[in-house]
Amino acid sequence: MAEQDWKANKRVFAAVSLPTLLWTLLFFVIPMAIVWFYSFGENKGLTEIEFSGTLENYKRATEYLYLSIFGKSFAVAALVTLICLIIGFPVAMAITFASEKWRPWLLLGVMLPFWTNLLIRTYALMMLLGSQGFANKGLETLWGGASWFKTLVGLQPLPTWEPVQLLFNNFAVVFGLVYVHLPFMVLPLYAALDRLDRSLIEASLDLGAGHFRTIMRIVVPLAAPGIVAGVMITLIPALGAYLTPDLMGGTDSQMIANVIERQFKKANDWPFGAALSFILIYAMFILIALQAMRKKVPEVR
Amino acid sequence: MDLNELLAQGRNRRSLLQAMGVAAIGISFGGLAACSKGEGKKLSNGEEAKLNFYNWDTYIGETTLDDFKKSTGVEVTMDLFDSNDTLFAKFKAGNPGYDVIVPSNDFVERMVRADMLQPLDHAQIPNIKNVDPSFINVDYDPGRKFSLPYTWLVLGIGYRKSKVKAKPDSWKVLFDSPEYAGRIAWLSEAGDMFRLYGKYLGKSVNALTPADIETISAMMIKQKPNVKKFHEDDGQDLLLKGDVDVVLEYNGDIAQAMVEDDDIDFIVPKEGSQLNSDTLCIPKGAPHPKNAHAFINYMLDAEVGKKITETILYPTPNLAAKALMPDTYKNNPVIFPPADILAKCEYAKFNEKLQPLYEEAFTKVRAS
Amino acid sequence: MALFARTPLAPLEYSRTLWMRAWVGLVMLFLYAPLIVLMIFSFNDSKRNVVWRGFTTKYYEKALGNDVLVEALVNSLTIAALATIASLILGAVAAVMLWRFRFPLKGAVDGTISLPIIVPEICMGVAFLIFFAKWLEWPTDLIWPFNLGAIIIAHITFCFPFVTMVVRSRLASFNREQEEAAKDLGAGEWGVFRDVLIPHMKPALVAGALLSFTLSLDDFVITYFTSGPDTITFPVKVYSMVRFSVTPEVNAASTLLILLTIVLTAVALKLQGVKAIAETH
Repeated sequence: MAEQDWKANKRVFAAVSLPTLLWTLLFFVIPMAIVWFYSFGENKGLTEIEFSGTLENYKRATEYLYLSIFGKSFAVAALVTLICLIIGFPVAMAITFASEKWRPWLLLGVMLPFWTNLLIRTYALMMLLGSQGFANKGLETLWGGASWFKTLVGLQPLPTWEPVQLLFNNFAVVFGLVYVHLPFMVLPLYAALDRLDRSLIEASLDLGAGHFRTIMRIVVPLAAPGIVAGVMITLIPALGAYLTPDLMGGTDSQMIANVIERQFKKANDWPFGAALSFILIYAMFILIALQAMRKKVPEVR
Repeated sequence: MDLNELLAQGRNRRSLLQAMGVAAIGISFGGLAACSKGEGKKLSNGEEAKLNFYNWDTYIGETTLDDFKKSTGVEVTMDLFDSNDTLFAKFKAGNPGYDVIVPSNDFVERMVRADMLQPLDHAQIPNIKNVDPSFINVDYDPGRKFSLPYTWLVLGIGYRKSKVKAKPDSWKVLFDSPEYAGRIAWLSEAGDMFRLYGKYLGKSVNALTPADIETISAMMIKQKPNVKKFHEDDGQDLLLKGDVDVVLEYNGDIAQAMVEDDDIDFIVPKEGSQLNSDTLCIPKGAPHPKNAHAFINYMLDAEVGKKITETILYPTPNLAAKALMPDTYKNNPVIFPPADILAKCEYAKFNEKLQPLYEEAFTKVRAS
Repeated sequence: MALFARTPLAPLEYSRTLWMRAWVGLVMLFLYAPLIVLMIFSFNDSKRNVVWRGFTTKYYEKALGNDVLVEALVNSLTIAALATIASLILGAVAAVMLWRFRFPLKGAVDGTISLPIIVPEICMGVAFLIFFAKWLEWPTDLIWPFNLGAIIIAHITFCFPFVTMVVRSRLASFNREQEEAAKDLGAGEWGVFRDVLIPHMKPALVAGALLSFTLSLDDFVITYFTSGPDTITFPVKVYSMVRFSVTPEVNAASTLLILLTIVLTAVALKLQGVKAIAETH
């Protein structure tokens, strides 16, 4: 499917491009440009930032300390995205294949928890996972039951219950982030899967392929654009998460967004915070621009 | 901007708020727009009857603002911020229209240096006489030119009585001992952590050097495996839930938690600690400076101060208000720790050279 | 829709297979367990959301009688509704641009449009703070809802790229022959857009709208830095409570909001007819 050259239909191109381009330029590029200049500046006194063209901030931001935090954040975000994909794909399929009556309710059901405030939702999650929390209480009851059962059949009882550490570690951060970002995966998948050509699946099943093989061979490739979109809008916000690691993480669970936030707030070092932010932005920009270029190549041939 | 003038004129706020709100979302809440303002009405001091107050949520008496309106006719709009850092960051771009703000002591220093605060006219605040004299001449604002104290706090150790062997009366239990391994929570504020470590090492909180930061970082990294959590000033909740048993927290926060659970106690370690005070200030460019003075004066009134203190339960620097409080408050050793210990406590001065160093060192500690 | 006949189990009725139902059930449990805790604690007779101290309904009375809380919710919902509508239009148009046309610097434009997703919240907040307060000297004393203008603009900026991403992935499956066919039948550009493209994009528009609404409703940092006096939103109120711990009043308000959403959805589905809604998907 060839893209149309913009010159072929200038009026339509203007209609669809001008609003976006103007908005992005005025309300995104210009404000961000200010911060971009800050990243080459230095603090002069408490409120003034002097644009001095220095590269000192970037030099500091690429020190091992910060690069290792970048690396760790990326690993956590990637893991979260993978888990969201595994959990979310069947849910998206269920919504797609649900009856007409159920579909709006399932869609709402996935989104509704996220219309309560993130902070109180996180507190509630912490209440579930805490060492005196409901999850631990439930496990303790099970443990007690098992122990009782063992004595009943004449075995040694189990040792006394020790609460499982579900909170304040990296597990909790991944758990919390999966919770927060699940709909970001489910919705794009649903959008891509909806109304996919059912005859393909039927054909595959008729030809004797099992359900799992049909899903892997037919449904997943059809959903590929949705998977890419889902991965993008899950991975990137997960990379920028700071509240979940702050509240649910342990002593070593900081992510890059926490570090950036502290530069703007507590350290009052906006130039350095700007440099850290822009390293993230450059990486992202290159990634997307490359992707766009790669897509273009086969069409040129 | 002509549009603004136009909009500012047609401000029948109540009906518009109602009509638009209902139309926009199709939900009709009762009492939605019970906030129409005293439009155009001028007070005898020449200002319109309005005041924009910038504060933390729930950090005021339940009826204080209504009472102020009853006694003066001035309608107070309270907006909310979440931390001193964001307050300061926001004012970097200028005062968006607030009359009274509530920064903490080190931020008073910062904002004065950044020329963000307006000097107070003490003649308009006769209730200054209610303030404890020991709070009048403070390092961060000598002679109280820019700020008046609202509450004060001291950092210490909150603990669960049934889970500790002895009173944790030294910073050692938090900073330098495996005794309560896995049951400790620190504050996530880098500056406070380094200064308190300094206190543990016998130094003034304001006398740390970059070399000290190195030493302390090493100690922190050594102690870190014993620490469960760097908390975001919610240590009292962690203590209440039983997630940790010894926690670095402010006395006022622990005092609030003690109301709910009598197995909790608080102590200021014998090495001394760091004081903190939230203050009332008028930022430069305040649209209603006279109302602001009247409001600050009102907040320092004995009866009003008592009502505020009853709600927030923090230590008050208002002697007249304190005198009206019940003995359970006045003689509470958590809210008012013994004088000999308090004598060893200091206010932290804002140090713009060290602050980024603290942050970077703490980032390193977290990453290690 | 013969595929959805009642019995027996047709091969494509994945939603009726046991493992699929179990999976969805578990995910819903995962999503709603914290919400149930939150609702339980709205009845907690304590100032904080931490330990159960007995049953009370006083926080519901308090929440309903709290003008500031109600105003904050109304502000938040207004901002979210307006930002969602604008983001949908802007995001869909941008997606069509990127999908349909080849133009110079496309990679750069593509990258720039997606950037608001990656910029850390605090960085964007500061950018907007300087932009609105220092550069534009945006007035802060307008009447409602115009005093929310700067916040809404900022929200649109970080919401619409999400819509663009979702819509674009949907457009990838569009069969251009439909467009050609419609044009052969004499439809103009606008007609094709309205009658062919939009129906195809619909699931993505629904998904994008839900995402934008959620993102906008929950934003604290950017809202804080773009707000002036008398513009409290729900997240700002909640975050400002943290220092003294969040009161069950907030839980009560959230519970009411959830119930209200469910009721409104049920009513909307009833009114429009189940079929009409389902067909739009």
